[in-house]
Amino acid sequence: MELIRIDTQKAYEQLRDRIVRLQLAPGALIDEQQLSAELDLSPTAVREAIKLLAHDGLVQVTPRHGLYVAPVSLEDLAQLSEMRAPLEALCARLAAQRATADELAVLAALRQEHHGIAASDSGRLFELDHRFHQAIAGAAHNKYLAQTLETFFGLSQRLWYLALPEIASLPAAVEKHLDMMAAIQAGDADRAERLMRTHVQSFYDEVKEILAKKLG
Amino acid sequence: MTTPLSPTPPLVLGIDTGGTFTDAMLLNYHTREVLAAHKSLTTKRDLSIGIEEVIDGIQITDPAAIKMVSISTTLATNAIAEGKGKRVGLLLIGYDAELVESFKMNERFATPHYYYFEGGHDLYGQEKAPLDLAGILATVNSLRGQVDALAVSSYFSPLNPEHELRVFEAVSSICDLPIVLGHQLSTKLGSIERATTAALNASLLAILQDFVVAVRRAMAHRHIDAPLMVVRGDGTLMSDEFAAQTPVETIHSGPAASAIGGRFLSGIDDALVLDVGGTTTDLALIQDGQVNVTEAGATVSGYKTAVKAADLLSIALGGDSAITLGRDRRLSLGPERVTPLAYLAHQYPPVEQRLTQLASRTWDHESAPHLQYWYILHQPQASRPLSPQQKNLLRFLADGPKSVPDILKHMGVLHPAQIVVNELFRQEILAKAGLTPTDLLHAEGRFTPWSTAAAEAALTILGRCLWQEPAKIREVVWRQANETIVRAVVAFVSGISLPPPVIKDKSFGTWVFDNSLYHRHPHLDTQFHLQIPIIGIGAPAEVFLAEVARVLHTELILPEHHEVANAVGAVAGSIMVTEEILVYPQLSAEGLDVIAYYVQTNEGREIYEVAGDALNYARSLAEERVLGAALRSGADNPQVTVEVLPNGLDSYRVGAKAMGNPRLEKR
Repeated sequence: MELIRIDTQKAYEQLRDRIVRLQLAPGALIDEQQLSAELDLSPTAVREAIKLLAHDGLVQVTPRHGLYVAPVSLEDLAQLSEMRAPLEALCARLAAQRATADELAVLAALRQEHHGIAASDSGRLFELDHRFHQAIAGAAHNKYLAQTLETFFGLSQRLWYLALPEIASLPAAVEKHLDMMAAIQAGDADRAERLMRTHVQSFYDEVKEILAKKLG
Repeated sequence: MTTPLSPTPPLVLGIDTGGTFTDAMLLNYHTREVLAAHKSLTTKRDLSIGIEEVIDGIQITDPAAIKMVSISTTLATNAIAEGKGKRVGLLLIGYDAELVESFKMNERFATPHYYYFEGGHDLYGQEKAPLDLAGILATVNSLRGQVDALAVSSYFSPLNPEHELRVFEAVSSICDLPIVLGHQLSTKLGSIERATTAALNASLLAILQDFVVAVRRAMAHRHIDAPLMVVRGDGTLMSDEFAAQTPVETIHSGPAASAIGGRFLSGIDDALVLDVGGTTTDLALIQDGQVNVTEAGATVSGYKTAVKAADLLSIALGGDSAITLGRDRRLSLGPERVTPLAYLAHQYPPVEQRLTQLASRTWDHESAPHLQYWYILHQPQASRPLSPQQKNLLRFLADGPKSVPDILKHMGVLHPAQIVVNELFRQEILAKAGLTPTDLLHAEGRFTPWSTAAAEAALTILGRCLWQEPAKIREVVWRQANETIVRAVVAFVSGISLPPPVIKDKSFGTWVFDNSLYHRHPHLDTQFHLQIPIIGIGAPAEVFLAEVARVLHTELILPEHHEVANAVGAVAGSIMVTEEILVYPQLSAEGLDVIAYYVQTNEGREIYEVAGDALNYARSLAEERVLGAALRSGADNPQVTVEVLPNGLDSYRVGAKAMGNPRLEKR
């Protein structure tokens, strides 16, 4: 059991969470030593974790000025939605065609879980939304598509947290999963694709509106 | 570049983390000479503290000379015995609920959260009923927040693990709980033992993982860069990575290591090894130099598992067993383990003052309840939800330990059961302290690292409540300890258990036992004669065992370094890897003819027309796998044996085993 691997994983998860939840602000300078002290993990583990985060696009490495949390911009949001909407839609289409009975059971269970979450619990709603997209990606049976979407999801999450206090429709957006699930279950590829595109697009649109005010 | 010859011989570091003490010793692997040994207190809230302390105590001058660290631990056994494992949801697939409940076999599952679902396979690996995945997922959803891990056991899963694998796939899509699958732990067909093993493994996963990481960290801080091994319940070694996945295999690893260490240090090949710790006393038999292993599966806290382990008996009696005064005003010893008052008073001087003050109140015959203390072991995490009552208690204890009567008064209740804090004890946020044999040893001046004054005061208080001299109290406690251990020895060696002493029993067996201990009959004397010596292990061994050996008319051997024998045993074992592959028939549609044979491994199955070909393939596959795994685990020149065991009609278990001594030089 490699200690450094475990610690790197720990550092990666904690730092990723801090960046996504904006506890490390976009554009902020990263101080490896300070983080190593705060997380109580070795500097080597933190450095390795930062490399992984740079690969995810959440950290920027500039040769002269050091390490920064990747900044966010409206442009990012536009580019992400441009990529994600059609790919998620494709994913939903494939899932409607390919989902096994077991995968449909998983989707149904996620839907059931949704009933138990309070509308104000945005942390859990985000988590559930993530699982839902992951489950659909799994049901699409295309690993490259799943990997690609996972990366975009991570990048988008940060923008959502930025807009979070003002998002009114988070529960409603998650609610959309119900229709989508029904379409996937019925094997209605067209409908699943259309619903997913609208789900992703309308959420981005709302976030864009909020951030446009915020970021000016 | 040439490698200079190493000036120091290869050293190995053995560590044993017991319920009370953490022991370590440094051994020259070739000459088998113990170079240094040390003992420190186990720090349960973070075992790495105790481990670092004990490594520091050894004073290692050349960390690079250490070629292997091996560790045995009663962590798993104690976690189960004390109900401190993680909470587990057990998903049973294809089990006949009515049958299980009618034989009360559900009490053996080791978790109160078990659920039955449709599915499972039959004796020939054919699907018995479709898997009720929707039901399983709904149950998992409803368990959110109530369990920390999941275990899955499907009927006949060793023959066909398909349902367990499907559950794993689906459940990991809806939650992050660790999931243990029964077929990965046992290829034996006993469905109840497999379910129990899976549930226990799940409850121990996080505990063992934290432990391995803590040891690795302690090693890194001391610049020890060597493979880490963990002792199994049968005394053999496995890599730390393997141990973190199959913690259930470490059940009984402490006692197995101490038995091996006892033999190693004494050089005696046939003996009864008695390891007296702080929490338990463990018994094991050594025959022809080997620890007796039970093929039937280890039993821990009454739970029967499918894990191979040393045949041993563990009783809840040790240096830190609680001495309590029952309602009938009788003294009892154990089974609960508490912090000795001497130690508590040493840590918190006000406790000593309080006890001495109570001891001076010559008129007070009711103060025995004041000998029980509760205190905060470590502060709960800020995020932990607490009830108002729990918050109140924690505030009250914030400035130090308080006696139970003081706590009751403060909380405004009449009985400790009215304070809902079991969960805080379970998580080691709170701990109990009380009078223990360790305190008696302080009062007798036989072992005095902590507050002797507190121990003496406590005995005076208890004596006065019973209108007896403190010396008499000590006598009663020691007699009870002796009787309990002798009873365990007789039951363990003979295989016949006696009724517990609380039952007034007029049987011949009880009379013989009683008469052999106390020689009450005026004309007819009986006595026990244990024909093998007792090897005593553990710090309090001499105190507890001298009288035991005398009553059993045998010799008590206390080898040099016996107090750290378990740490010695941790490095004296061999590395072992096993693998089992099942071969069983495929039946024709009518179920009358065998048309082919399946070779079933964890990953999948192959079909052969002839049994001979199937068995040959299984043999070579098993052999190849164990050899590879043993080499990866750090075994030097492992020897492989393969055996084919019949496993019911036309079915076979092909078991391969690779064993070798640890390879101490890096290649």
